[in-house]
This record gives sequence, C-alpha cells and structure tokens, in this order.
Amino acid sequence: MKKFSILSLALLMVISLFSVTVMAQDEVNLTLWDIRTASDQVTPALENAIERFEADNPNVNIEHVPTQNDNYKTKLRTAMSADNAPDLFMTWGSASLERYVDADKVYSLESHMTEDWESNFMPAAMDLGRVDGEMYGVPVTNVSPALVWYRTDLFEEYGLEVPETYEDLKNVVKTFTDNGITPFALANKNKWTGSMYFMYLADRIGGPEALQQAISREGSFNDEAFIEAGRRIQELVEMGAFPDGVNGLDEDAGQSRTLLYTDRAAMYLMGSWAYSSFKNEAPDMLDQFSFFNFPEVESGKGDPSNLVGTPGDNYYSVSTKAGNKEVAVEFLKYLTDAKMGEELINIGNIPPFTGISEKIDDPIMEKIYNSSQEANHIQLWYDQTLPLEIAQVHLNTTQALFGMEMTPEEAANQMEEAAQEYYGE
Amino acid sequence: MMNKKELMNNKYFIAALFLLPAVIFSLVYLIIPIPLSTYYSFFKWDGIGAMEFLGLENWSKLLSDPIFWSSMANNFKLVLISLVVQIPIALFLAVLLTRKIKGANFFKTIFFVPMLLSSIAVAFLWRYMYDPTFGLINGFLNLVGLEQLTRSWLGDSNIAFYSASAPIQWRFIPLYMIIFMAAISNIPKQLYEAAEIDGANNWQSFFYVTLPMLRSTVVNASVLIIVGSLKYFAMIFALTGGGPNHASELMATYLYTKSFTEMNMGYGSTISVALFLVALIVSVVFLNFSKKDVRN
Repeated sequence: MKKFSILSLALLMVISLFSVTVMAQDEVNLTLWDIRTASDQVTPALENAIERFEADNPNVNIEHVPTQNDNYKTKLRTAMSADNAPDLFMTWGSASLERYVDADKVYSLESHMTEDWESNFMPAAMDLGRVDGEMYGVPVTNVSPALVWYRTDLFEEYGLEVPETYEDLKNVVKTFTDNGITPFALANKNKWTGSMYFMYLADRIGGPEALQQAISREGSFNDEAFIEAGRRIQELVEMGAFPDGVNGLDEDAGQSRTLLYTDRAAMYLMGSWAYSSFKNEAPDMLDQFSFFNFPEVESGKGDPSNLVGTPGDNYYSVSTKAGNKEVAVEFLKYLTDAKMGEELINIGNIPPFTGISEKIDDPIMEKIYNSSQEANHIQLWYDQTLPLEIAQVHLNTTQALFGMEMTPEEAANQMEEAAQEYYGE
Repeated sequence: MMNKKELMNNKYFIAALFLLPAVIFSLVYLIIPIPLSTYYSFFKWDGIGAMEFLGLENWSKLLSDPIFWSSMANNFKLVLISLVVQIPIALFLAVLLTRKIKGANFFKTIFFVPMLLSSIAVAFLWRYMYDPTFGLINGFLNLVGLEQLTRSWLGDSNIAFYSASAPIQWRFIPLYMIIFMAAISNIPKQLYEAAEIDGANNWQSFFYVTLPMLRSTVVNASVLIIVGSLKYFAMIFALTGGGPNHASELMATYLYTKSFTEMNMGYGSTISVALFLVALIVSVVFLNFSKKDVRN
C-alpha cells in the first residue's frame, strides 16, 4: 500500500509538471542584460519601458539582470564565448558589437527596420549599430561627448576665464594648484577615464587623421601626435593637475566626483552623462556646474569643435539564441519610443532619437545637444574604435603615462608594436 | 552476475554510489580543466572565434614576459608576508583566547567577523579607508600630526601591493586562529600540569608544550597559506585590479586580465597552467621537506 501511494505521488508530480509546460506554452520569458544597476540614472526609465511592455503583452515576462559597468563587459564576453548569451543584451556599438556579430551571436534587425522605426534615430548614432550595412543594435541612451565640466563658482572665485587654448588651461591649472585645489578630478583605476585626456590631446595635436591613418596603417601609433599627447599628459601630471594616487582611485566608486562636490577639485573631463550624475548626487549644486570644450593646442591640427565621445551610448541587441525574436524586437521598439525619449530627457540624458531638440528645455542639455550638432568630427572612444588587442594596450599605456611609469615614446612604441602584431605586419 | 539484492548489499557499491556526485563534480570542475587548459595554451583563441594553433609560442612568450615574472614575484612576496604575519598573530590570539580570560567568547566572535565578510565587501571597506583625500587612514595620520606618512596607498606603485596585501592578512588571521584554537584545546591537560610541576613558567610551557604539540597544525596551516597565496585573486582584483601599471599584479589577476579582459584565452590558459605548476611544485617540496623534518 505504501509503495502504491509513493508511486501515485510520483505520477502526480509528473503530470503536474506536464500541465505546467502546457500552460506555459504561450508565455514568453526573455532575459535582458545591461548596466542599468540601481545607481544608474537611466534605470527607472528602462524599468518603466519593461513595465509598459509587460502590461501590453501580459504573456511576456522580461527578466532584467543589471551588472555594474566594468564587470558587465567581462560578464558578457564570457557568456558569449560560453554560448550562454541572454535573449537581449547591451553593447557600446561599433567594435564592441562587431565582435559578436562576426561570431554569429547577434540577430540582424534589418528585416524589422521599418521606415518609421528607422527615422526615429539620429543617423550618426545608427551607424555605430550597423555592421556591414546591417542593423544589429539600436541606440537607446545618450548622445555622449566627453566635455570639460567645471565648477563655475570656483572659476569666479579665482577670477578665471574658460580656457580657449592649452596655454590658458595650464594657467588655470597653475592658479588652482597654487590655491590648494586639485585642478582635475580624475579616478584612473578604470583606465578609460584617463584615456579621455589622451584622445583629446591626440585630436587637438594631430587632428582626427592621426588616428585614422594609424588604423589604416598609412600612419603609425608612434607618430609625433601620439607622443606629444603623452608628453602633455605628463606635463599636466607634473604640474599637479590630477589628484594624488590618481591610478588608485575608482570611478565606479565615485572617488572622482566626491572631490568635485567637496570643493577639492574644480574640473572634470567626463562624458555628458556626468550631468545626470550631478543631478542625482548633488542636486543643490547643479547651477554651479557648466562645461567647455577641450581647449585647442596652438599649432595643432585639430579643430576645437571636435569632440571625443559617442553619438549613441548603449546599443541594445537581440541574440541569435533568443527564444522568441519577434517579441524581443517588439520590446526594443518600446525601448526606443517617444515615452522613453521623454523620460531620458527628464533625467538629463540626450537620447539619440530624432526630433528631441524641441523637447529639451534644460540650458545645459541644450548646450550639450548644440555642441554635438556643431562638432566638426566626433571621434568614437579609442577603446570602442580599436580592436580589443590594441585598445587594451592603449588603456594600459595611458594609465602608465599618468603614473609617470613610462615615457611618451615607450607608450607610443608599445602601441605601434601591438598594432603591427594585430595587423600581421 | 550479481543480482540486485546482492548489489545493494555490497558496501563498495553503495560507497561508490554515494561518491559519484562528488567524483562527477571534481572531474568536471577540477580535474578536466587542467588538461583542457594545457590544450588551450597551444592556441591563439579569443574564446569566440576559431582557434589558431601556435605550438609553443605562448609558452616562449610567457618565459620572456616581465609582467608574468613580476606577478610571480608578488605571489611569493604574498606567501612570505602571509606566513610571517598570519601564523604568529593567529597563534597569539589562539593562545590568548583558550586561556580563561574574561569575555573570551565575546572576543572569539569579534575576531572571527572578518572571516565572515565577503572578500569584495572587505575590499570596498578598505578602498574607502585608503582614499587619499577622504580615507580613514590618511585622515587619522593628519589628525595626529603625521602628515609626512600620508600616502596615496593604492595609487603609488611602490606601495600599492603592500597596501592591498594588508586586508588579506586582516581577513585570514581568524581562520588560522580558529584552527589553532581547536588544536590547542586537543592538547592533553596533563602535559601542562607536568610542566607546571617541573616549575615551567607561562613562556616555557608555551615554547616547550604548546608549540611542539602544534607542530603538525602549523605545518598544515602553512601549506594552506602557501597554496592560498600562490593562487590568490579576490581582494587584489577588487582593490587595485593588479595595477597601477601591474605593480600589484598576481598570477591569478594577470591570467584573469589576459583571458577575460583582453580575451586572449590561449595565453590566459598558459598562465593558468604555469600557476598550477608553480603551486604544485612549491607545495610538494614544502610537504616533503616538513615530513623529513618531522621524522628527524
């Protein structure tokens, strides 16, 4: 009798298992990976989009798995190589997306690109989501150029003007160090933060062509422009332009901005997303912040309107492994609709969607929008433009430049060596 | 052929049955990866694309890679620091807490707390303590007038490794403290009584009774420390990521960076096999050495 009851119990369990599967047939579960952690300003907007989508499609359940920025990159790479890609994921477009497209991990959105949807995006932003002319990722957040943020009240206090040239900048730096204020808030454990100085200096000295030619191999990574950029970084380091132990400070832990909020630092070269951070972290100081474009270098080739940054920041894609691609693509449309655009603007983000200029009424955001429209050239971050192998060398050598552990020539030569190895010369 | 009943009565079969999950686990996660990594070490592979056979190129690159050698040197420095710091302090605390002092239980709990925190949480705690401008350590130094001692603890490549090693010591001392406390409580009381009758004072009974009786425990703890320090990863990764400019790089952080940040799985595997070999050789040598010593 006992045996029988156990058997019937087991049978019951099996049956109930089946019935669950039958019932669940129409349910769609999608997993979404990105960097929208609780401290990310875009998170509420994204969560709203998920909620709206789930409300309109009750059979769909989206599981959102956020991971903090630097860890996310590793997590995604590892999952991709282990063939465990989530249904929906986020990249930074360009090289970071191309890598996975080449390995057949990303579902092409080309067949879903209706005219309506396509005209929703700024063309420059879309380009970074394309690989070989096909759309693989849609831009969702931030037209994000790197800008020199500064404390207007500190500039006023010391009678300083916004620097137009590198020489002016050096004077500003000197005035602040003389008064015991760190000129630039920078946390360079993360390496991409210090890279911004290098990219701007290289652009201002050699123009955008310097990098383009180095990549096309007409030029090289140890050309004078790159060496000179390294020299200027070290000149600034020697002047005391950066915080003590800059290479040990963590941007993800906010160790740079804290200096800015506590009057210990005056400037902050950072992507325009810094404005969202200010809004979030120091709302009562918001009117003390403004920005200027990175100053021009005398006798340099780069136009001071040139920006370094990205016309669209986070690109969302569907993986080839997604269970239900139609639904996943449908969700991407919610992620890029007008409602999402409004919510992004409210938090100080400039979405890469068309027709948003009239919706922006915040003067700083308007200024960011205008400078990106006026830019002669927008150089995408080196660590997204360059193949991973060279990008890592760029990040490492630039950090070493800040630590005075490498000469500009050594740094440039290491870059060139890595490039020669990569391009098989 | 054995029938079912016989099989179920065979104790070896039952034992094997119970061992099966553990065997499968160690095969999949511990044993198979070793030959697999060795295999990968002969290839150039980014983890996604095609694998390109390189032969011994990764290995010759490893031997002439200054960062690998400096990271190995850091590992041995960590072994040395951990042995010198953790064992004496853990021993001291263990002896202290096994005596009938007031509030021993309270202190046992307090001293054990670092072990209960996750490495990453500890690393974050120390990251803020080390902050050059706002951190507790520099703040304290400034307060007591030792401004000249303030440092950028994690940003200065001369001291970053030592700064990052400190919380490792702090976190692991309690583990060895507990091990030593257990061993001390197993020492027969008669030995102490005999020593007392012979007129031994506290120091003498520690050096002539406690320490010799703890010998095998100390050896075991040392092996744990040596192997643990050779393959250590977590706190260094969270505090400095091996930086600045590889100054605090360990073999494990270097292999992680190569494999998962630079996506050079082939070279990463090479480092991991080298790490395995180093740890294997060192622990075999140490165990042999201490065995001989015990026999003499």
